[in-house]
Amino acid sequence: MTGATQPPPGAPANEVHGIWLLTLRTPIGTLAVTLTLHEEDGVLTGNANGAGESVPLRDIRRELAPEGERLTWTQTITKPLRLTLGFDVVITGDRMAGHSRAGRLPRTTVSGIRETGA
Amino acid sequence: MLAQIILFDGFDPLDVIAPFEVLSAGSDALGGGLDVRLVGLETTGPVISGTRGLSLAATHVLDPEAPGIVMLPGASGPVSGDPDMVRTIPVILAGLGATALPALMRRALAAPDVLVATVCGGGLALAMAGLLEGRTAVTHTLGNDVLEATGTTVVRARVVDDGDLVTSGGVTSGLDLALYLLDREFGPRIAHAVEELFEYERRGTVWSARGAEPVAL
Repeated sequence: MTGATQPPPGAPANEVHGIWLLTLRTPIGTLAVTLTLHEEDGVLTGNANGAGESVPLRDIRRELAPEGERLTWTQTITKPLRLTLGFDVVITGDRMAGHSRAGRLPRTTVSGIRETGA
Repeated sequence: MLAQIILFDGFDPLDVIAPFEVLSAGSDALGGGLDVRLVGLETTGPVISGTRGLSLAATHVLDPEAPGIVMLPGASGPVSGDPDMVRTIPVILAGLGATALPALMRRALAAPDVLVATVCGGGLALAMAGLLEGRTAVTHTLGNDVLEATGTTVVRARVVDDGDLVTSGGVTSGLDLALYLLDREFGPRIAHAVEELFEYERRGTVWSARGAEPVAL
């Protein structure tokens, strides 16, 4: 959207692993989710922690985007409510922005930052 | 037989009162035999609704295994607003997941002689708590998309009969739900006697998975 074709300096496009602190603006309030992404031999796995439960990420897909790297995945949560959520975000350096969606529901805005230096 | 109608903080008064009056009149038409109660999840006493502070008193605590009907109403309150600041209906319904409700309703759904019924957002509250996955149900029209997203099959009928789970749509469908339950449990003469007294005729076809399946129209 910015028209940028290069990732910002110091942010290699192919580095998406790490611990991400996500904020989801949902119709039942703002939810905090911690996302852990592992990369091994080019295979990306991950899980999401929030509201006292940890769920695996499914169908993780990544592709280069003008702003950095686009990541999509699915996760099924039971807390604070039972929903299957589809995420679609773009990672630019240590920032993540996009949305999640459940079925025909309106999109929920997702933003996140990578935990660094810990 | 016992009919227990659940009160929780933020309940919609009409969701409670319409079935309460219909089932009570049905009990009278039966000459007794149906005990209708307003129940609390864990305590008795006054419970404040979501409408202008109106409160009703729970005379008993919910017994999820008592043979009969366990009915869950929806919530009332604002439908829009910043959910971090305002206790909107979705916030109230999702918040029930953190109360004793899910465990109690799981027991009610598992109990052999209990029929679980919901009015309005009550069905959505059960689905949000993960209790309606794979079931067929309906909730208030504003909540049907969320209901679907929880893994429930949604049928947009006024009353949906899925065996030991009977759900109904928004607020006024509680009248149709309770009349249907009288019909289902005690027969059409009892339901009709109440319709006559209340000057109200049940609306809409009650959906259930009986008979022929329609092809797309």
